[in-house]
Amino acid sequence: MSKPNRSKLWFLVHSWLALPVWFFLLIICVTGTLATVSQEIVWLANPEIRASQPDADAPRLSYSVVMERLKQQVPDIFVQSLHRPDEDHFALNARVSYPDGRTLTVYVNPYTGVIQGESPTFNFSQFTRALHGWWLMPFTNGYSWGWYLVSFMAIPMLASLITGLVVYKRFWRGFLRPRLRFNRGARVFWGDFHRLSGIWSIWFIAVISITGIWFLIQAVLGDNQVTISTEGIPTFIAREDIPLTDGSAAKQISLDQAIVVAKQSLPNLNPSFISLPGNAYSPILIYGRGWYPLMGQSALINPYNGAVEKTRSLSDRSALEFVTESMRPLHTGDFGGLWVKLIWFFFGLILSFMVLSGMLIWTKRTVQTSLALTQKHAKKAHITPILSAVKGASHE
Amino acid sequence: MRKTIITIACCVGSSFFSSAWAHNPICECNAVTQTEIECIGGFSDGSTAPGVTLDVIGYDEETLLAGQLDTNSRLRFQRPEQEFYILFDAGPGHVVEIDHAEIETP
Amino acid sequence: MNNKSTLPFKKWWLKWRFHLNILLVLIPLGLMPSYLKDAALFRGDTGLGEREIGLVKVGPWSITLAELRDDIPQQDGPAGYLKSINAALCLACEDQVKATYLRLGKPRNIRTAGHIFFGSPYRMGTSISIPEKTQSDALVWITMEGWDGSLHQASLPLTQVSPKTVAWLEKRGTAK
Repeated sequence: MSKPNRSKLWFLVHSWLALPVWFFLLIICVTGTLATVSQEIVWLANPEIRASQPDADAPRLSYSVVMERLKQQVPDIFVQSLHRPDEDHFALNARVSYPDGRTLTVYVNPYTGVIQGESPTFNFSQFTRALHGWWLMPFTNGYSWGWYLVSFMAIPMLASLITGLVVYKRFWRGFLRPRLRFNRGARVFWGDFHRLSGIWSIWFIAVISITGIWFLIQAVLGDNQVTISTEGIPTFIAREDIPLTDGSAAKQISLDQAIVVAKQSLPNLNPSFISLPGNAYSPILIYGRGWYPLMGQSALINPYNGAVEKTRSLSDRSALEFVTESMRPLHTGDFGGLWVKLIWFFFGLILSFMVLSGMLIWTKRTVQTSLALTQKHAKKAHITPILSAVKGASHE
Repeated sequence: MRKTIITIACCVGSSFFSSAWAHNPICECNAVTQTEIECIGGFSDGSTAPGVTLDVIGYDEETLLAGQLDTNSRLRFQRPEQEFYILFDAGPGHVVEIDHAEIETP
Repeated sequence: MNNKSTLPFKKWWLKWRFHLNILLVLIPLGLMPSYLKDAALFRGDTGLGEREIGLVKVGPWSITLAELRDDIPQQDGPAGYLKSINAALCLACEDQVKATYLRLGKPRNIRTAGHIFFGSPYRMGTSISIPEKTQSDALVWITMEGWDGSLHQASLPLTQVSPKTVAWLEKRGTAK
């Protein structure tokens, strides 16, 4: 194939990759962008989720004290887990169960331990994640069909990135000579916008599409019962190791004690998630991140005698796990606090506009130019087949 | 429950819990010879079960063999004369029972 | 590139692809009601499960059971068919009960008591395996273990626990 024809081919592949399902892809990008800052949006709208400090030097309560305060407010409350979000301006999330059977997340002030409110049935954060991640389609038997649909789009996205860079001749020059012409009409503007934002988003599009492809692989592995996990067998407290009592529940150590024990094995542990035992034979789970922002460590503590049943640190992961466990935080941008989220949000917006601008360029340029070409050069053999395909498309 | 676990996994940003709901115990036992049985244990997410207790217990509740799965998640043993059942015991409430009648002689 | 537009699939694709887009976008709109319904279900706003089984007395204690989904069992790969059951302990006994198990058929001993419940005493869940050759007259056994080592049991027919499961077993021809 001659050189002009080969570039034309790359260009056509680039144009066609997103086109057939561009609207679907656009909504995925928009919902993903929203999801990145969904917690912040809720924070703005709902004061109950804020960690309002009563006065400037009020200290954050320890987990044990938070538990005590919760039990004082609702004596029969059963706390399943406590989660401290990355950013300090958020209240604690406590997953609790009430005697009437309702089991939900409540927002707890980290300075006073007061239950400020309940997470609503329509939880905006969870909703945007469900919409973006699996198109709201249910997980009935394994991974949701929506998960497959959405993650599959990462493949044309990555291909768009690669073909885009191939057709944008000497794209690196765009870094030094940015061009965004406002005065030459919409087609030129969107073309410039698409190219300019494209080259500055190369890293982001690569991260999003590669991590998206991992989600696809993850689903395929999961649904075929293939695991790459080196976690090992589940940990339970043996029946003979639990003290028999006079009939009431055996005493458990406090969360603060559990954290002290966990930190002896994992000195870098900064506990952000504590799961209380799900039944009498389960350990306390303490999870948190150390210096590495993309992955955490965990310790399983015997609730009766405070022994460390198991730990899982960064070095316990295999090389493959190290890479794959880093994928999700890289995709969502929730590993570095508010500023990283804002960067992800900004580039998410750019990416959404790239999908939009790509479509606008296609409509204005490819169709119109192709139609013009048809009229002028209908007899040129190597253009006709391409044109007929384009003409067919332009009938939409 | 599953969705909650997945949501928590999303909040925590780790894949720690994503295996929790698909982590049901599995055990398969087959007669490999006239006298020997081999059991392979694991979990429904595909992970293996090395070191997990596998006991062969007679109907009279006498433990005929107190075994453990090897590093390949397997255990091979002589088929007992009497009626028995096999218990893959990964923890309280996390067991698989296989009755001797389910293991056909080859 | 030649003659591609004459291929029937290609023609169909070119004609309908934007409609497919709209269809794809309509999916989550159509799924909103069931998403909200599921959210309420998992929160416990609509009860212990989609179908309440009822209160069962187990020795000095009692427990309320419910099917999480009013449906047939779901297959979990090689683990076989599983039915998710939710339970709530009697409020007075919640401090005395160490663990609760469910099993199809009478357990031989405490080690074979069955599948253990996870969660809070007000709303805990487990999944019991339904072997494919389960008979329609099978009994579901509840075993409750006290902190003092005591054991209490009760049973109820599978037809009462999950009528749809029994119907499914009979339809498969494995149950009689």
